[in-house]
Amino acid sequence: MHWASGNGSAAYAEPTRTHRDGQGMGTWYDTRYVDDVRPGDHAWLPYSGAEERDHVVAPFVAGALATNEKIVYVTDAPAARLPGMSAFDPAAFAATGQLRVLTRAESCLDAAGGFDPDRLGRTIDREVARGFEAGFRAVRFTTDFTWLLAAGADLTGLLGCEDRLAHAVSPSTVAMAVCQIDRRRCPPDRLVELGATHEVRVEGNPLFDDGTLRIARSFAPRGLRIEGELDRARHAVFAEHLGRLLAGRRGVHLDCGGLGFLDLGGLNLLVRHALALPRGEALILDDLPANVENVIDMVGWNRLPGLVPGRARGARDGGATAWA
Amino acid sequence: MGLTHRALLYDGRSDFLAATGAFLRQAVEVGGAAVAVVRPDNLGPLREELADHRDEIEFYDSAEFYRHPVRTLKAYLELVDRVSPLRVHAVAEPVWDGHDARQRLEWQRYESLINVVFAGSGASSLCPYDRSTLPGDVLDQVRLTHPVVVDGADERPSDAYLDPASYSAAQDLGRRHDRPADAEYLPIEADDLQPLRLFVATRANAHELTPAAAQNLVTAANEVAANALAHGTPPMGAWVWTSGDEIVCEIGDHGHWRPPPLTGFVPPRSALDTGFGLWSVRLLVDLVELRGGWGGTFVRLRVRR
Repeated sequence: MHWASGNGSAAYAEPTRTHRDGQGMGTWYDTRYVDDVRPGDHAWLPYSGAEERDHVVAPFVAGALATNEKIVYVTDAPAARLPGMSAFDPAAFAATGQLRVLTRAESCLDAAGGFDPDRLGRTIDREVARGFEAGFRAVRFTTDFTWLLAAGADLTGLLGCEDRLAHAVSPSTVAMAVCQIDRRRCPPDRLVELGATHEVRVEGNPLFDDGTLRIARSFAPRGLRIEGELDRARHAVFAEHLGRLLAGRRGVHLDCGGLGFLDLGGLNLLVRHALALPRGEALILDDLPANVENVIDMVGWNRLPGLVPGRARGARDGGATAWA
Repeated sequence: MGLTHRALLYDGRSDFLAATGAFLRQAVEVGGAAVAVVRPDNLGPLREELADHRDEIEFYDSAEFYRHPVRTLKAYLELVDRVSPLRVHAVAEPVWDGHDARQRLEWQRYESLINVVFAGSGASSLCPYDRSTLPGDVLDQVRLTHPVVVDGADERPSDAYLDPASYSAAQDLGRRHDRPADAEYLPIEADDLQPLRLFVATRANAHELTPAAAQNLVTAANEVAANALAHGTPPMGAWVWTSGDEIVCEIGDHGHWRPPPLTGFVPPRSALDTGFGLWSVRLLVDLVELRGGWGGTFVRLRVRR
């Protein structure tokens, strides 16, 4: 594949932000917010449900349409129903070539209806070249590969395809790709293999990030992930997002694995929100780091009505848990 | 339900065993939750004395139970809750050796606080004091902190007993508040307390506190500073210094706060109760000293490594 390379556009001149280096499932990769995915990124999105998938794919699609970038989406779903399309008129963007929604039959299947990685490669080559010629500053590609994970399926074709994608996207200054995989449908060892063919893992944009506290949605289980330090200066913004989560019935779990500091006012805030939950429900604090848990143990869980300790620290291991 | 809080003045082991043994036997007879928290050298003999009631009495070693007065009060509260609706009948013998003057003062305050914290619990506590070995100033305070004193066959109300708020206030009068000239200082100027946490954490780690103790001190200092930002008057700041094994962190502002004497000593029922913050601060560090006046409000936190 010969995707355009050359001078990066000014909008992407800044060094790419990587907010967390991590080891997941035996593989090293950078984790990036979807808004930080850049040309040259061959990223994967292991998701645990439609809500999590759309939380990432919607801004990826909408971000392209809002910023003079082309989006190529291989799917059999109608364009109007794709994540991120709610604010856009598909016909108008299809007419300019900025939005290309291609069915599998017209982009990556052979005559017998089987997956044809070479055909997908040629399709993407063509779409990227046309996008570049049409003056779009970047070309985004995404598709959901989960359908290739049917029971007993041979992954050779997919792995080879991912490898080709990686070699083509990484040196490009125009192309970027997000490969979606439903982790619940993928055995852990296959997930490791798939992950290893990507150098970037993409996740949803944070709800808040000021460099000290980061608040993000979490999906397996559903709730919020809080990382960094939660203190007085950040109570209001946290209360706003927690209140919205609970009011929208979008989960009651708080992933505290990356929480370095929680002040006593924060405990008060959590209790106030927990007590507003319907009877019998609790806010569940997962993955509490030892030093934070020690403070909570000291004051006593019995003084924190509505809060309960959840999953123990270290129980989380990426795909294996979600798949089991 | 009231509280029966009596001191037992005794002379020597046999005196101790006779009085506490009778108390605990009676506790079992009336169907109460019988608990003995006694000093290590009394523990074995008392178990032996009550061998026939071994399964009906909970025994604890005072050396383990009495390490930190605020935490000990919390542990007793948990005990009362655990055995409810049974009423606790406890032989409660604090440890009086190995303390410096400041710690001794806190344990004396603790004895007085029992009268507030367990008022209405229905509990009965007998606190043994060994007249043959304890220092005079410990024995002198017994009649101020216990409403009833048992001395041999003689049991009578203490005419020197002070209500806990007055006792606590009197205990703090003699405190000194010197601060070394070389204490490090960080002004607290913005709403964001991250620099303060870093300031305290760095020094706590350098003083070789355990990670948990360091985090507890940081959490306590952060809470006091947050409170100063919410209610105090600038300028505000934090001083940190060390003295032997101890690291001291003091947060001050120029507000004029006169804390009621029992502030933060009575355990709150939940994090939503007033006083939860200061009580937690007292729990998280070894010792908290408050002083308020026209010169400002100062909260001093002490932790030993």
